[in-house]
Amino acid sequence: MEGIVLALFVCLILALVTKRYSLPPIPFYILGGILIGKSGLALVTSDEISHFFAQMGLIFLLFFMGLELRLDRIVQNPTVVVTSGIIELTIDMGVGFVAAYLLGFSLMDSFVIASAFYVTSTALAITSLIENRKLMMREAETIIWLMVFDDLVLIIILAVLAAANQNIIFLFLKIAAALAIMYYLAKYGKEFMVGILDRSDELPLLFTFGAVLTTASFAMYVGIPETLLVIALGIALGTTDPDAFEQHARPFRDVFLVVFFVFFGVTVDLTGQMDFFVVGIICLLAILSKMFSGFLIGLFVHGSALSGIEIGGSIIARGEFSIALASLYGSPPVAAIIAVMVVVTSIVGSFTAKYTGRLRRWMSSPGRRAAHRRVH
Amino acid sequence: MSLRSVNLPGVGTKYEFTTDRGDTVALFFTKTGTIQMYTLQRGCHTPSAAEMTPVEARRLGNILTGAIIEAENESVEIAFSALADLRISVHTYVIPKQVAGKTIEDLQIRTKTGVTIIAVSRREKNIINPPPSFVFEAGDGVLVIGETDQLKRFERDVMVR
Repeated sequence: MEGIVLALFVCLILALVTKRYSLPPIPFYILGGILIGKSGLALVTSDEISHFFAQMGLIFLLFFMGLELRLDRIVQNPTVVVTSGIIELTIDMGVGFVAAYLLGFSLMDSFVIASAFYVTSTALAITSLIENRKLMMREAETIIWLMVFDDLVLIIILAVLAAANQNIIFLFLKIAAALAIMYYLAKYGKEFMVGILDRSDELPLLFTFGAVLTTASFAMYVGIPETLLVIALGIALGTTDPDAFEQHARPFRDVFLVVFFVFFGVTVDLTGQMDFFVVGIICLLAILSKMFSGFLIGLFVHGSALSGIEIGGSIIARGEFSIALASLYGSPPVAAIIAVMVVVTSIVGSFTAKYTGRLRRWMSSPGRRAAHRRVH
Repeated sequence: MSLRSVNLPGVGTKYEFTTDRGDTVALFFTKTGTIQMYTLQRGCHTPSAAEMTPVEARRLGNILTGAIIEAENESVEIAFSALADLRISVHTYVIPKQVAGKTIEDLQIRTKTGVTIIAVSRREKNIINPPPSFVFEAGDGVLVIGETDQLKRFERDVMVR
């Protein structure tokens, strides 16, 4: 228990520092965890309580993702979303997988690394769009929809990884049954739920927490991965009153997710046979590959190389979902590599996201054009 | 002028319109609670942006609708195009000492000026639709509704005595 208190205290300080200097918080939570954990000062070890808290963080992260996925909205400009999504998926997933496999990882490990390599951090990308005041750019909308596409692919990745060591047909039937139950609950229980969410006492919070926790434990009981089921719950509840659910789930997600990041850092083993060459290559490729796929998206969707640089620079940061994949399916060496990759890419990504804006202003400033013309 | 609004997942709602002269204004109500306003001059590539809190944004809105803003008095004029261009103003005032102790009936507000007092705010509490027997105290904030001319008469005849 003292471990969690110490960890939360470290987080509080890190949160204050990162907010003060507008830095991405996720890498610093992980670094904080590494510092006080196994690979650092060894002040904190993970125990049953911290494990439960971290699990809650993961579950609420995925529930939230489901809530925000409103499928009716996705069909607005399908060609742009699908084109950019497929470019990103093939290039980044491909580069990640080939690199990991050539560096000597097993097929399964390579797939986990490639997935973590592919999934851009929605939270970091969107926060940097807002903070760098880039929302009005036409590329911003492409990036936002690209993040939705990422989320959808992540669901498929989670399903594939879950099915890897199970009887697929049986699992599929169980999931279909659970989805049907949820669909009918959302459809016929809508008025009841809206009634509860409208109250101003403790009931809405209690109901939201209870619904997520019940779903997760139900999933464990019947042997379906709880990750998939809480996403499905999010999507189902998203059809009732998503804003109210977001409001009531946010406090749980915010607190538990920070614990999740810190304890991921605490348990990561960087002292083992950490091959710096392998880690270095993965990190470098993680940056270059996103720059390249972003560049191609810019060319194909907006017909402009500048747009490509902008998009590439904005989607480098990996974060919450990569860590989630590492903690769910990563063996210790894989988790260590993903941890370093997330820390490096999220810090580099926050700078590139800032820098591309300046680069662009500089490229299109009249002074430079005039100078350019004089040279020729 | 064409206005379009989009719901951006994870970000919030975007409103964008282009003026007849080709300038663009975009507004984002983000999920973090702040409002970002971008303006892009025709022919320019980089917009300039301002970030506002909801209160600041509301003030900006009041200025844009043409209301006069003073430190304590705020007013909003609403035009209903469906009701033969009915224009109606809502204005706030602070009750001065001269009026304190009198009731709405004593002051004959509606018969003299035509305006209606729809709410009184006293020490952080709001009284909606005060009865004619309602007694004013100095410092009460009142919300008055009426046409612009009627509000001027109210200012002249009731507030300054």
